[in-house]
Amino acid sequence: MAYRNALDVLADPTRRRVFERLRRGPLAVGRLASGLPVSRPAVSQHLKVLKEAGLVREEQDGTRRIYRIDPRGLARLRSWLDQFWDTALDAFKAEVEREDDKGTP
Amino acid sequence: MTKTVSIAPVSKTLTVHATQAHAFETFTAGIDRWWPRSHGVGSTPMVRSAIEPRPGGRWYTVHEDGSEVVVGHVRVWEPPSRVVFSWEISAQWKPDASVASEVEVAFTAEGPRTTRVDLVHRDFEALGPDGGDKLRRDVAGGWPGLLDLFRTVAER
Repeated sequence: MAYRNALDVLADPTRRRVFERLRRGPLAVGRLASGLPVSRPAVSQHLKVLKEAGLVREEQDGTRRIYRIDPRGLARLRSWLDQFWDTALDAFKAEVEREDDKGTP
Repeated sequence: MTKTVSIAPVSKTLTVHATQAHAFETFTAGIDRWWPRSHGVGSTPMVRSAIEPRPGGRWYTVHEDGSEVVVGHVRVWEPPSRVVFSWEISAQWKPDASVASEVEVAFTAEGPRTTRVDLVHRDFEALGPDGGDKLRRDVAGGWPGLLDLFRTVAER
C-alpha cells in the first residue's frame, strides 16, 4: 500500500524534517545536512528511505546529488484526502436525508 | 531555483434530498450527528465534534481524555448557502495552527427538497510546517488516529 508506506516513512521525526526542508526547493545532501542535528550519512540514509517511498527523487548535478520532493508522492497524500472526504460526505448524506428530519421546504 | 509544489484541490459534489437550510445546518451546527468518529486527530478517541456556527467559530473535536483539538475556524459564514473553513491539520495529520489549507462548502437549492453540495479542499501547499521547532514536537498523538482512519478507508 503505497500511501500507507509514505505515512510510515514520514512518522520518523528526523526524516520528516529532511522532507520538510525540501518543500522550499531542491537541495544537495550537504546543504540539507548542514541544518540538521544528524550526520550527513544519516541524512543520506533518510533520503534513501524517502526515495523508496516515492516521496523524493534525486538527480545528478555534476558531482552533487540534488534531491527534490516527488509530486507523485504528494499526489498519493491527496488521493488519501480524497477518500477521507468521500467517507465523511457519505456519512453526511445519510444523516441529512434521514426520513424523520429532512427539513421543511 | 525554488519551485513551488502544487497539489490539485479535492473537489466533491453530491446531491442530497433535503432542503438547503437543513443541509447547511446539518453540515455545520449538526456536525456531531454525522462526522465519523474515526476522523479524529487527537491522542485519544474522539467523543464529539462541533462547529461554532458563526464567523470565526471553531471547528473542534473533543476526546476521551477531555482534550479539545481545533480542526479549523470559520472563515466565511453565509447560511444557508456557503461556509468556508480553515483546515489547521498538517500533512502529518496533526493539529497545527501555523498551517492552514481551506475547505469551502457551497449549498445550492435545486428543488424544494434537493440540494447540491459542492465541497472543495484546497491550498494543500500550505500543509506541513517548515520551522524546526514545530517539527520537534512529538507526533505520537496524531499518528495512530491517522493510520486507523486509513485502515477504515482502505478496508471499506
